Amino acid sequence: MLIDYYPSNSFIHSLDVRTKLLGFLIITVAAFVFLSPFINLLIAAITFLILLTIKTPLHKIKQVLKPLLPIFLIMLLITGFTYPAEKFQLDLNKQILFYLFPDKTLPISVGGIFYGLTLTLRILIMVLASTVVTFSTPIEDIIQLMQKMKMPYQLAFVIATGIRFVPTMQKKSEMIQEAQKARGTEFGNKGLIGNIKSYIPVLIPMIVDSIRMSENLAISMLNRGFGTYKSATNLHEIKMMKKDYAICLAELIILIAAIWANTENVGVL
Amino acid sequence: MNIEELERGSVVVDLEKYTYPGSPSATLKKINFKINKGEFIGVMGRTGSGKTTTLMLLNGLIPHFFEGNFDGSVIVNTMNTQRYRVQTLARFIGLVMQDPETQIFGITVEKDTSFGPSNLNYRKEKIEELVTKSLPLVGLSGFEKRITTELSGGEKQRLAIAGVLAMEPEIIVLDEPTSELDPNGRAEIYRVLSEIRRKENVTVIISGHDSEEMLDFVDKIIVLDEGEVVWQGIPHDLFKNVSLTEKYGIRPIETAEISNALCKDSVSKETEIFLHSGQLIEYLNKQLKSCSTKNEIHKETFIPKQKKTVIETIDLSFGYRKNEAALNKINLRIGKGEFVAVIGKNGAGKTTFSKHLNGLLRPTSGQVLINGRNIQSVSTSELSREVGYVFQNPDHQIFSASVREEVEYGLKNLNLTKVEIEERVNKVLKFVGLIEYQNRHPFTLGKGERQKLAFASILVMEPGILVIDEPTTGQDWDGTKRMMTMMKELHQNGHTILTITHNLRLAAEYADRIIVFSNGMVVLDGTPPEVFSQEQILESASVSSPESVKIGRSLFELGFRNDLITVNQIKEQLLENLSLINVN
Repeated sequence: MLIDYYPSNSFIHSLDVRTKLLGFLIITVAAFVFLSPFINLLIAAITFLILLTIKTPLHKIKQVLKPLLPIFLIMLLITGFTYPAEKFQLDLNKQILFYLFPDKTLPISVGGIFYGLTLTLRILIMVLASTVVTFSTPIEDIIQLMQKMKMPYQLAFVIATGIRFVPTMQKKSEMIQEAQKARGTEFGNKGLIGNIKSYIPVLIPMIVDSIRMSENLAISMLNRGFGTYKSATNLHEIKMMKKDYAICLAELIILIAAIWANTENVGVL
Repeated sequence: MNIEELERGSVVVDLEKYTYPGSPSATLKKINFKINKGEFIGVMGRTGSGKTTTLMLLNGLIPHFFEGNFDGSVIVNTMNTQRYRVQTLARFIGLVMQDPETQIFGITVEKDTSFGPSNLNYRKEKIEELVTKSLPLVGLSGFEKRITTELSGGEKQRLAIAGVLAMEPEIIVLDEPTSELDPNGRAEIYRVLSEIRRKENVTVIISGHDSEEMLDFVDKIIVLDEGEVVWQGIPHDLFKNVSLTEKYGIRPIETAEISNALCKDSVSKETEIFLHSGQLIEYLNKQLKSCSTKNEIHKETFIPKQKKTVIETIDLSFGYRKNEAALNKINLRIGKGEFVAVIGKNGAGKTTFSKHLNGLLRPTSGQVLINGRNIQSVSTSELSREVGYVFQNPDHQIFSASVREEVEYGLKNLNLTKVEIEERVNKVLKFVGLIEYQNRHPFTLGKGERQKLAFASILVMEPGILVIDEPTTGQDWDGTKRMMTMMKELHQNGHTILTITHNLRLAAEYADRIIVFSNGMVVLDGTPPEVFSQEQILESASVSSPESVKIGRSLFELGFRNDLITVNQIKEQLLENLSLINVN
């Protein structure tokens, strides 16, 4: 999640965190305003293009999307089969393609498939848009935004450090799993209870290690003068520039246009 | 003592006793020493001798963070540590700890270095100036935008040093900063510190087990034993006295060991104790020049007997990512009962290779055969009966409430009877020497015992092959010797042993075969004398020979056999030929 920041000097990277968050919001709203999968496909394509401009390596994007594939497939099937055909506004969408079982049970309609596609695309759009934000925004910017919203420095620091340690803990957990496998532990083929039980040998060393690490961290923080004063110098003040205001304005226009289009029945099913 | 007389950057410790809260006995007793501004001080002694506790006195962590029973006074940079907060003292005394992981707060190198000064509320421009000044001092210029989690262990540790440097301390204290590093990373730390001391005139206090570096870099050594300062003086005097170093659990310098043996048995009383191989070689040269012995070329004694192959890899290649080969077509055969040391610098592919032997990693192409069987589709847990893998950190596997349960754990999946389990556990606990501790909670044991326990929990599966990952990293001299003895015994009991190590002394003394990895390939494979004779290839693989090997090489030039590589072999040979040395 938030640890995916990937440094680069792209245009999106240079924008203020607030501009990016507004953009995320608008893309999401747009995706929910339109029901048609074609419009959503267009939005998804645009978001994907933006993602490409921030120069993230493709394998990182793949890492984000791959685990979502089965969810997309299940969503597509469930909505495709269960959405009642009568509810669609357009005649085309009311057409029933075939029935899964005889005696007209579980019909699948054109609209059903479209609707399933839209739902899937909406999630895809949200994931892509949030990836744009997380890949292009250092955690410090987000923390600073929180501080601007009057969160105390100490709490903001704790959150930032927690996030900084996610990859470290992941690595630790992998090392522990390897050590336990090497002495005969089997993971993942003993049913739910069995699996939970087999993770105890991973969990306990993890907890013990975390306690040790947190003590060391506390010491290190003191060593670096944490808590000398109530707050610390912000090295990189987040600041709205001219281009941020321009982009924000454009974003708002898009938002209004989308809502207006919706009232004009564009992109219904 | 009058505080006004003290100089900034000086340290005066006068401690009668310190006891950790809840601890039955005092951890420190009688700690007295004085350090002047700009000195480079080494603190040595066994694990558990009180080094860390002593160093934590200096920046006020004791008595502020760890309260306990404190009796005495510590004056650092003219400030009595009892009167100031740790954060206040931190401005003048920077402490770097052993684990680099828990000292890094920033996502990029630059941001992490600015953490200290920004806590001191310095102006932005001043912080930037301090960061730009600190990074080159630790050899990290050009790393500003790098992501901290992607740095190597040595780089992380140097970043931690930069982090305290950026606060412009008068004194830098480092608690075993090198114990988790490879030899190159270790030497780099000492070089960097010595530069910092020279350029910034700061006092540097470092603890560690690195005898050679301590000898070459520090001005003075303070030796601790059982919570007391037992010796202080210049490194030269400490390492010349081999019995003293042994007494306090400090690894002796190899050259000193050899010349000490000569000294003891030598007729000529003038034989000096040399500390650098060059000096000893020069001395021997002078003494031996007069006599002319022929090169008694010693042909290889180790003839690989036709043993059953237990490990075989055929064109084994592996990449963590596409187009990036971490291992490139490895073809190796290892016979039953061999003792193999795998060496090479970090990232050369040693661990990646070893993890293929029990299926923790699967080849991208090629095959791994264990006891003649292709293990492509055999699970790691099933392989654990054939290949035992001992990891470096015992705390990554200990989770049970008693020593006995911990050892039993692996046997639960094996369908053994209760009696069989009990027998096996008893046998293993006796072997590692933990039978009296069998009902203790593992976390109440010392680090050495926990390491033994981790070993036991692997041995109980009775694997014929043992892969042992860096058994001596982070260990003091006693621990190193203990691990080496245990491995030797296991080898004698018939186990095939493959150990990944940076400890070349271990490789030279115990292994009967050394495999050198470099860039994912095997560059050398042979008996220790064979491997150590290939100076150039070793150098290109960034492996530097132990001192004893260097002495052995020059002895060969002087007419000795060509397979002298260990301290003991050289001692023996020299003593046998004492008459030659005393000829003049």
